[in-house]
Order: sequence, then C-alpha cells, then structure tokens
Amino acid sequence: MYLDIWQLLTGLVHWLMVNIIGAILGWIGFHGVEHWLGTPGVLNFVTIIVVGLVVFIVGMLVSITLIWQERKELGRLMDRRGTQVGPIGLFQNFADALKVLVKEHIVPEAADSMVYNVAPVIIIGVSLMMMVTIPYSPGFYMSNSQLSVLLTLALFGVVPFAVLLGGWASNNKYTLIGGMRAAAQIIAYEVPLLLSVVGVVILAGSLNFFDIVAWQQSHVWLVLPMIIGAIVFTISMIAELERVPFDLPEAEAELVEGWGTEYGGMRFGLIMMSEYARGFIGSSMITLLFLGGWDMPAFLNFIPDGIWFLAKVFIVFGIIIWIRGALPRVRTDQILNLGWRRLLPLAVVNIAIAIAFKTLGWF
Amino acid sequence: MAEMWINMGPQHPMTHGLWNMRIKVDGETITDAEPVIGYLHRGWEKMTEDRRYPQIIPMSDRLCYGSSFTWSHVYCMAVEDLMGIEVPEKAKYIRAMSDELQRIGNHLMWLAAIGPDLGNLTIFLYALREREMFLDLFQSLCGARMTYNYCRIGGVRNDAPPNWDRDLVRTLDYFEKRMNEYEELVDRNKVFRMRMEDLAPLSGKDAVNLGITGPTLRGSGVKYDIRQNDPYEIYDELDWHMCTADEGDTYARYRVRMDEMRMSVQIVRDILKKMPKTGPIRVKPPRNAPVGTGMARMEDPRGESLMYVIGDGTDKPYRLSVRSPLFVILSASPVLLRGNKIADLPSILGMIDVCMGETDR
Amino acid sequence: MAESKKTNRQKELGLTGFIFRPMWLTLKQTLKSSRHRPNTVQYPWEKLVLPDVYRGRPGLRFEKCIGCGICMRMCPTRCIDLLEVDDIKHEEGKPPAKVKRPRVNVGRCMMCGYCAEYCPTDAMIVTPEYELASYTREEMIYDPYKLQFAGVPGNEVHILEVLPSELKKDVPPRPHVKNVDLPVVEDKKCIGCSRCAKDCPVEAVKMVEVGVNEKGRPIKRPVFDKEKCVSCETCVEVCPKSALTLQEVQ
Repeated sequence: MYLDIWQLLTGLVHWLMVNIIGAILGWIGFHGVEHWLGTPGVLNFVTIIVVGLVVFIVGMLVSITLIWQERKELGRLMDRRGTQVGPIGLFQNFADALKVLVKEHIVPEAADSMVYNVAPVIIIGVSLMMMVTIPYSPGFYMSNSQLSVLLTLALFGVVPFAVLLGGWASNNKYTLIGGMRAAAQIIAYEVPLLLSVVGVVILAGSLNFFDIVAWQQSHVWLVLPMIIGAIVFTISMIAELERVPFDLPEAEAELVEGWGTEYGGMRFGLIMMSEYARGFIGSSMITLLFLGGWDMPAFLNFIPDGIWFLAKVFIVFGIIIWIRGALPRVRTDQILNLGWRRLLPLAVVNIAIAIAFKTLGWF
Repeated sequence: MAEMWINMGPQHPMTHGLWNMRIKVDGETITDAEPVIGYLHRGWEKMTEDRRYPQIIPMSDRLCYGSSFTWSHVYCMAVEDLMGIEVPEKAKYIRAMSDELQRIGNHLMWLAAIGPDLGNLTIFLYALREREMFLDLFQSLCGARMTYNYCRIGGVRNDAPPNWDRDLVRTLDYFEKRMNEYEELVDRNKVFRMRMEDLAPLSGKDAVNLGITGPTLRGSGVKYDIRQNDPYEIYDELDWHMCTADEGDTYARYRVRMDEMRMSVQIVRDILKKMPKTGPIRVKPPRNAPVGTGMARMEDPRGESLMYVIGDGTDKPYRLSVRSPLFVILSASPVLLRGNKIADLPSILGMIDVCMGETDR
Repeated sequence: MAESKKTNRQKELGLTGFIFRPMWLTLKQTLKSSRHRPNTVQYPWEKLVLPDVYRGRPGLRFEKCIGCGICMRMCPTRCIDLLEVDDIKHEEGKPPAKVKRPRVNVGRCMMCGYCAEYCPTDAMIVTPEYELASYTREEMIYDPYKLQFAGVPGNEVHILEVLPSELKKDVPPRPHVKNVDLPVVEDKKCIGCSRCAKDCPVEAVKMVEVGVNEKGRPIKRPVFDKEKCVSCETCVEVCPKSALTLQEVQ
C-alpha cells in the first residue's frame, strides 16, 4: 500500500488551477489567462514543480531528523542524554539554524573571494539535487529515469572538487591540507563504491531503482547473495560521507575543522546540512540497492511502503552512528591503504560472484 | 611543495594545555619539531619565597592539577627532610594510599584525553565517569575534588571518615570490572591498534640519555621506578611489582599505564590490609626551619618529580626548586616526532600525557 | 622474544577483535542507558548531595569569633583582613560595642580550608556553598555579616596532632589549641608599653611589675597565661620593638 503522489498532486493542481484560481480570474474577467491556465502543458509544468517541492521538503525533513537521531543515539551510547532542546530534543535543529543565520559572514582578506563563495554553493546544490532521484515508495518519487543509480553516484562524485576548491581558497595552511586529504580519500573510495554497485546491476539487470527493488521483491534481498558487495559498499559509503572512522579531512584534534575552518555563519550551516543530506542519500542507497527498498513480509502489509522504507533508512544510519561511537579515526595512509589494497579486490571478487550467479541461472 | 613551519597552538583543541608545538612539515611528514612553552608560567617558585611553609601546600596542589596530591606530597617530604621530622606510621600508609588513588585518577584523565585525540569520544566519557567515583572518594575524605590540600608537613590533614574504606573497597571492585571494558574498547579495537602500534619507537638507551622518566621510560624496557629503586614512605613493605613493556613504541607506553592502573588497585588493597587501625596521623611541625637544605623525589604519575628546599632559619623558605618530569620529556619530543606524519602527532603526544601546569610552573 | 610478543598481541585480537568487540560493548551500553537513566546529572534542576566536609566558601559564626586574626595570617592568598564592625549582641539602650571580625574576598579565596582549620574557637567553618557568581567584584567581598553561616558540627575542621617528641610513646592526639606556642619576651628590648596586653584578643597577657628603674618608676613586663593563649601572634606583630618571639612547644 502506498501513496501515489503523482495522482494526488495532479488532481490537486488541476483543482487549484482550474476550479479556484480559474474561477477567480473568470469572475474578474481575464478569460484568456483562465483558459491558458487550464491547458495540459501548464498543468503538467506546475504539477512537476509542486511534486518536486513536496519530495524535496520531505527529504530535507528526513535529513534533519537524521541529525537528531545522531545526537540522541550517540548520547545514549556514551551514557549521557543527547540534546534536550524542546521535547526530547526535536527543536535542536531549528535552534542551530537560527543561530547560524544570525552570524556574520567573514571572508578572509587574502582569500580568493569568488572561489571561496562558490564552493559551498556547489556542495549544497549538488547534495540537494540528489534528493529528487531517490524513490520512497512506488508512488512517492520525483524522477523515474532509466539511469537513476548512475545519476546519483555521479552527483556524489562532484563534491570532492568543491571541497578541494573550498580548502584552497581559504588561504590557510590547515584547510589546504584538509582539502587535499579529503580529495585523496574520496577519490580513492569512489572506485570500490562503483564496483560494488556493478554486482547489483548485473543481477538485477537495470540501472533504475524501481527495477532493482522489483527484482528484490520477487527474488531475495540482494544483501544475501551480494554480502561482500554490501559490506564493501557500506564501508566505502562511510568513507564518502567523511564520517568517523574515516573523517581525517575534518579531524578536529589536529586541524580544527579541516577544510571548512574558515567558513562561518550560514555557509557553515549549509556545509553541515549537506553532510547529513549526503548521509541520507547514502543510507537510502544502501537500503534500495541491498536491503530491498520498500519490500516487506506479507503479514506487515498494513504499514505504508514509504514508512517502511524510512524505517530501514533510519536503521541503516543508526548502524553508521554506532560504528562512529565505537571506533577512532584511521590515519590517512592507512585509509588509502585500506581502500586500494583491500576493498578494491573484494569488490572485483564480488563482481565475479555476481557473474557466476547470473550465468548459473540461480537468480 | 616546499617545507613549511606550522604552529599547532597555542590555541588548539588537541594540545592539552597551553603550549605551542612548531613542526616543520614536508607534505604530510614531519621533519623537525620545536616545542615552545611558557604560556602558563605563573612564577610559582618566586611566589613561594614569600609564603610560610604551610601556606605553600595548597599552592603546590596547583602545580599540576591533574595529579595534585603527588606534588604536595613531594613538597611535604622535602620540607620534612629539611626540618628533620618523622611522620607517624599511619600517616605514611594514608599518604601512599592517596598517592595510588591519585595515580588512578590521573591515568583515567589521560585515558579520557586520548579518546578525542584519536577521534573517539566514547572512551572520553567512560573514563571520566569512573574518575568521578574516585573524586567522590577524595571529596568525602578531605572536602575537595581536585586540589585536595590534604598532605601536611608532618602527616596528613585528617583521618578517614567512618565507612570510607567500605566505599573504597566497593569502588575498587567496580573499577576492576570497568577496566576490562576499557581494554575491550581500546585494546581489542583494530583501529586503535593500527594507530598506536609500531609508532615512534624509542630505545631504552635513548630514553635514558634524554632524561625521560616514568611510564614513557618503562615503556622502552628500562626497569626504573622510584618506588622500587629508592623507596620512600612504606613502598618497600608492600606486595607489588613494576610494570614495563619491551617494545618501546606508542602501544607499549599505553600498555604500561593501563597495567599501572591495575597495579595501583592491588597496592591499595594491600595497604588496606596492612594499615594500622589507630594511631596519630599528624605531627606538629616547627614554625621556623633550620638553616640547611632538603630534597625529596617521588614517582609522579608522569615521571620523577623532585623538590629542593633551602631554609634560612625563618618561617619562609629561601628558595624552592622544582624538577618537573614533563619539562624534560617535552624537550625530548622532537626525537619522537621526526619522520612521522602529522596524523601521528596526537597519538604520540597523547601517550606522553602532557600537563602544562607543571611544565611551566 | 620480540616475535612471540608480536603474535601475543595478535592473539589478543583474535577473530572477533577486528571491530566487533568494541561494537558489542557500545551496543550493550546503548541498551543499558536507554532502559535506565544515563549517568547525567541535570544541573541546575538536580544537584549532587555534598558531604559535610565539603570546602565551599568560608563561613563565620559571629558569636564564637574572638578577632584573633589567625585566619588572616594563614590564608595563602591573603584574602582575609579584620574589620571593625558593630557587635551583633548588645544591651538595651547602649550603643553596640566595636569588635574585629574577618572580612573575606571570596573572589580570591582558593577554598583551601586553612581559616577553618587553624581557627582556635571553630568560628570559621567550611560551608557547602559553591554557587558564588556575581556581576561585580565588590559583591564578592563578604563583610562579616554576609559571611555568616549557621552550619552543622560536621562543617568544623579540627586538627588532632601529637608533638614530635611523643611520637613513639603512644600518646593520643590532641587538638592543636592544647599545644600552645607561648611568646617569650626579650627583656633588653621590652619598654613596658603594654601594647601587647591591650591588643590581646583573649586577655592572656598581664603586665606585672618586676622592679623599679633608676627614676623610681615601675618597670612592667608582660606575663603570658598558658591556659588562655591561642598563639595568634597579635602581640608579636604589635610590639614596637620586636621584643616577642614565639617559643615552640616540643
């Protein structure tokens, strides 16, 4: 059971444009505009915008909830309460946003101001662009392109450039080191990430999220045959998200804040927001590719598909937070060592297993 | 990229305390280092020239606030050497017991500090939660949590309140269980091991030549502990042994401190068995010190601390000189840092357990 | 030896040591602190209970204080001085008497407890008050009226000591007020001004005539009463010729 948002919003937009606004305009006397508003082209256009807006807002709210989940879960893990602003801490994010909005925007004097201002824009723009490619249920989606997996992974990979630009443009030795480390790490972990997705694509036969989930609904969740691929994908995703244990670019103990040291005010807020937006996208990719998306056992059919999907995303992110609580930071050369020498061969082995399964005809 | 000098500090989240570590960096590798200290210098040795002997005891607590009882202990021992006073038997036992409890508290603070250095905040909160228990013990003993003002020239301030040793035994039992948890979190954690093993090896001969003492020295295989080589108070009557490790890398120094914590628990249990139940705990010291000198040294949780007093017949010392173990180790830190990466700096310096209060005085 | 140590270290990790043991530990902790309360004290709504011996700011019991000034002399930060104030108790109709009571600069106080420890009458006590923030520095200087604190008997700090000569003789420790260091007067320097007798807070000094000088006027010398003296050194400081020194009891 799922909520078909396209149907709902098409009907809503039609009713709004034709019956409400059209009626008002007709009563005023603009019949030409009223007629133009009812044409299918205009209706389609407005529907796309409204659906995009709704999906985007839901995605943002879920990302913010991920921030709340991290603070509370990390708190309980360390035997303390997490944040307590508002009832059980739910207002913390709004308090943070308000604080970040009222701060002064400082550009360092010798910094390259155009690149300095553009870098966070690129990061947050690309991160939020990915929100529209992720489907939550068979009815709640924005875009249904045939290459959605590839599109999402490509957008993931634009961010290291902007990180490097931001680190360099701040005219600070620390941020330069942080930016270089981040670029090296993310580029190193893109390769196992993509290779482990290849195994999934081989078995499911298409690059579309819907087809992959449909395959998992009819066969088995892909985490079982592709267990190595799932682990490699998860570890690479944690490295992509620059979280502990792989957060050397942002190592607080040595470089204060890494490449984002010189950013204050809303730019810093946007950088933090983009981290958690990418966290949401990453966890939902793990869910869609390996854990069956919105697939659930038949006796739980009364839960809507979208809610079940979001529950899985929260569980996956909870595991990522748990790893953060238990492990310290890994050193740069050890991170790169791990990426190139251990994860890459495992991903290739995974592809071989996928090919073997497909040719044997088991799946 | 050319080599450049980077300032880590004096305002920095990692360097515990207020000092500047200048490192010469070539890419990610450190080629040279130069510690710059003196930001916390308060003129302690000068201030003591104008205060009477009992008034210096709370000041010596604040030399290193992480291990405050050991500093007031070494001061009292130095002045007792100058004045020629003998301390009652029970006071010696109480002093040794407070020493060991202070050692546990200090090593827990060290353990809490290496967590955020290496990126893991969990061990920080766990270690501080256990340290709270020991601070509560001290609070019911002498009234303060960090700067105790408990040692006196001629004994200790007061006897333990009723039921204190029952609380102590309960705390020690609970703490030993928790120690197993820390070892699980740190020792059996592959990432911690990767960060600490085979890092900055220091041979025993180098360590002795550089003047390093304490757990840093014992981590390189040298068997030197003042409690055993030059016993003070009642350490020669207790049943314990020195903790050393052979490899000399960062993991060995970490291991020595964890073993020392367990050994301290064993020493405290032994003291509780052997301590006399009744007896005086305080001797009245003379107001004026004779003309002469007094010296005392002991095993601070960080190394060998030493105090040297010159008395001139009045009730104020003429000169008081302090040897801080960390001052020497910090000056030897460039030897440890050369050739490693910037990312190794927190783990190497974290194992040395920096406290700027005693380095700068 | 080094090789076996190496495999010893690897053996400690074992198969599950990779990351599973710390993750298992943190999972147990998460579940434990979700079911029970975590280890947080929600200050300022919850506060910890402090024992009686807790050394917060110093407190004064006005009636017991004799104005001797030992607290002023023992303070390591020199934040106490004596102030002449009106006595609290006074008879009807007459103006209140002027007495000397301590005034403490709590902003400089290091809460060491020496004032309470060395006070001969246990008028200065340690209090459990530690929330002392204020907006101006002048508010942090507590005059004797503001310094008052009723306290419980556990707030008093006592010294129980033995003398070095009786250390081995199994003598029970006694309070420090019983080991009195009496002042001795150097006869050549004393001029008989009786300032020591006037300023002694416990009236332990009596001027006694010991003879007649060449002009026929009596020569007075002070005599110290061992039962009343508290070794406060007021007479030593006040003497204009520095004729008094404390002789220590052995």
